Amino acid sequence: MSAILAVCHLGPTPYREGLALQDALVRARVAARDGAAGAAGATDWLLFPDHPPVLTVGRGGSEASLRVSRAALAARGVELFEIPRGGDMTWHGPGQLVGYPIVDLEARGRDLHRYLRDLEEALITALAGWGIPAGRVAGRTGVWAGGEKLASLGIAVRRWVGYHGFALNVAPDLGFFELIHPCGLRGIHMTSVAARLGAAAPTLGRARHEVAEALARRLGYDRVRWAPAAEVRGLVRGIESSMAARPNAHQAA
Amino acid sequence: MPISIVVPQLGESVAEGTVSKWLKQVGERVRKEEPLVEIQTDKINVEIPSPAEGVLEAITVAEGTTVPVGTEIGVLAGAAADRVAAPSVPAPAPATPAPAPAAAAPAPEPVSPAPAPTPVPAALPPAPPTTTAAPGTAQAAADDSERPGNLSPAVRRLMREHDVAASEIAAIRGTGIAGRVTRDDLLEYLRGRATPSPAAPAARPLPAAPAGGTSAVPAAPAAPLPGMAPAAIAPSGPREESIPFSKVRKLIAENMVRAKHTAAHTHCFDEADLGAIVALRREWAPKLEAQGVHLTYMPFFIKAAVLALKEFPWVNGEVRGEAMVVKRYYNIGIAVGREEKGLIVPNLKDCDRKSLVQLAGEVNDLAARARADRLRPDEIAGGTFSITNAGVYGALNSAPVINVPEVAILGVHRIADRPVVRGGEVVVRPMMNLAIGFDHRVVDGELAVKFLRRVCELLERPELLWFYA
Repeated sequence: MSAILAVCHLGPTPYREGLALQDALVRARVAARDGAAGAAGATDWLLFPDHPPVLTVGRGGSEASLRVSRAALAARGVELFEIPRGGDMTWHGPGQLVGYPIVDLEARGRDLHRYLRDLEEALITALAGWGIPAGRVAGRTGVWAGGEKLASLGIAVRRWVGYHGFALNVAPDLGFFELIHPCGLRGIHMTSVAARLGAAAPTLGRARHEVAEALARRLGYDRVRWAPAAEVRGLVRGIESSMAARPNAHQAA
Repeated sequence: MPISIVVPQLGESVAEGTVSKWLKQVGERVRKEEPLVEIQTDKINVEIPSPAEGVLEAITVAEGTTVPVGTEIGVLAGAAADRVAAPSVPAPAPATPAPAPAAAAPAPEPVSPAPAPTPVPAALPPAPPTTTAAPGTAQAAADDSERPGNLSPAVRRLMREHDVAASEIAAIRGTGIAGRVTRDDLLEYLRGRATPSPAAPAARPLPAAPAGGTSAVPAAPAAPLPGMAPAAIAPSGPREESIPFSKVRKLIAENMVRAKHTAAHTHCFDEADLGAIVALRREWAPKLEAQGVHLTYMPFFIKAAVLALKEFPWVNGEVRGEAMVVKRYYNIGIAVGREEKGLIVPNLKDCDRKSLVQLAGEVNDLAARARADRLRPDEIAGGTFSITNAGVYGALNSAPVINVPEVAILGVHRIADRPVVRGGEVVVRPMMNLAIGFDHRVVDGELAVKFLRRVCELLERPELLWFYA
C-alpha cells in the first residue's frame, strides 16, 4: 500500500479541467499498476479543486432532479455536467470543499462500500474536531447533522482506481441547492459548517488541511505530502502527451 | 464461444449492483479491456472493462435494473464468432451470402444528407426505411417499464414466491401500460418456465461460472414479440433466397413491433408553403458552403419543431409507467436510413440552444457518423422527439412510427412545385406535406393538429422564429 498520500489544492479549476485531471491521473495509476514506469501514477492523490458554480448529475440521477429550466441555469451561468460517478444531482461551487481522492482500491481490498464508509468516517472525524456532531443516515450515503446534509459523496471506479469523491459544505451559498432536488431526494435540507458554527467555523483552508489529514489517517497512509498545483498540472500534461504519442486502444473509438 | 458478462465482486459487503449504463450497443464490436458497461452500487459507479475482444451479442439486464453480484448481464461473442450470424440460427445454405454483421466492417459511405430526391431503383421494392423510426439499438431495452420499481405489489409478491430474478422480468414482454409486466404476464411466463417449450431452445450454452465461484443466474430467453416467433430459417432455392436477419435488423424489428404494440399510433397530415425556406436556403447555402457547412432543410425543420414543442410542451416527453413525463430539454432524433445496415435514430442534444448554422453542421456530422457506425451510445439514448425525412427518397407523404417511449414524431417530405390557390388565383408554389404520428394515449388529436399547424406556420413564416424563438 502507498504510504504517502499526495495532496494538492488546485486553486480555481473549471469543472471540465477537473474531469481531465482526474482522467489522466486515473489512467496513470492504472498504468503504473500494470507495470508502467514513471512517477505520475506512483502514488494515490487527493485533489482539492475550487470549482465555479456547477451542477453535476451522476448515473443514479436525471434531469428530473432539476427544479428550474435549463435556460434559467444558463442565465445564472451554472453549467450542468452528466458524469460517470454514482449518485444523483448535486451542486459544487465556492465555499464548498470538494475532494477527489484518486485511490488504488485494489491495494485496499477491493471493497467499494467500505471505501464509502471510510470517506464518511474521515469527514465525520474532521467535523467532530470542529465541534459538530455528525453521523450517517442508513441508506442515505453522505454525512448528516441533525437531519440535515453536510456532505455528499459520489464515486467512480475504473479498473479498481476510485475517483470523484466528496463535497463538504463549509461555507457555500446554500441558495444554490434550491436549483435542484439534491441527490434526487425530495424535501431534504442542505446545511453547512458555517450555518452551524457561525463565526467559529474554520476557514476553507483549515478545513482542507484537517480533512486531508483525517482522510489519510482513515485510509491508512503514513503521511501526507502537499504538492503545488503546478506539479499536478505538469504531471497531467506529461501523461496526456505520452498517451497521445502512444495511441491508447481504449481511446481509439 | 460466447463469453458471459457478469456483475463482478465489488466488495465483501456488496451483494448487488444496478446496471447504470451500457457503453456499447448490441452488435457493436468491443476490444479487450475497453469500457463495456457501468454498474452502480450505493453512490459508487464502476466502469466494467470487456473481458475479451468480440461483439456484444446480447444485453440480458437492462439499464436501471438491480441484480445480485455474479448475475449475467450480457453476452459477448468471442472474436472468432463474429462472422457467423448467431449461434442459435442454423448455418445458411452455401448459396446464401453470409450477412455482414453491422459492426464488422463499417465502410464509411459518402455523406449525402442533402434531401435531393433520389430515385428508387425500379428493380427494388421501394422499402421506406425512414418513414419509420425506432432506435436500432438496445435503447428499448432500457425501457423504464422493465425496472423493478414499476412493478405492482402483486407482481413483486409473485416474484418472491417463485424466486424470479429481476433479469427474468426484464426479458418478459409486458402487456400492461407502457409495456409494464402485469401479474398475468408473469403467471404466463411462470407456466412457460415450469414446462420448457421445445420451441425455445437454449439460445446459447450456459455461461461458465465466473471467477470467484458465484453462480450466474441464467437469463430467460427473451419472450418473442407477436410476429417475431423464432422459426427455422427456410432453405434457399434457385428462385428464392433466404437471408437471416442481422442483429441490427432483429432489433429494428423488435422495436417496431414494440412501438406499434405499445403506443396508440394515430396520424394527422398538413401542408406548408416552403417558398420562404427554399429562398433562404438558396441564398445561404453557397455562403455557408464556403465556410464548410453544407446546409440542408433539416436544420429549418428542427428549429420549427423545437419552437412548436416549446409552445406545446406535452408533445415533448415520454410515457413512463402511468405518468406522462414532460421534458424541458429538446433532444431531437433524426432518422437516418443506412440501406441494408438498417435505420438508426441518433439525436442532437439541446437543439433549443443551437443556431441554425450549428444545427446544420451537427446534423451532417451525426448522419455521417451514423452511416459509419461511429455514434456514441449517448447519441442514441435520451431523445425527446424525432423527425424523419422520407422526402430524401422522394416520398410525398408517410405515416411514421413513433420512436417510443417518445410520444410523437414529425414526418417531412419531398418539396414539390404544386398549383395552389392564393387570393382566388391559381399559383405555383413549392409545397411540402407534413405528417405527425402521435401516441393517442397521451396526445389528443386536437393537440397534435394544433402542433402540426404551428410547425407549418413557422416554416411558412420563418421570421416568427426570429421573433419568438
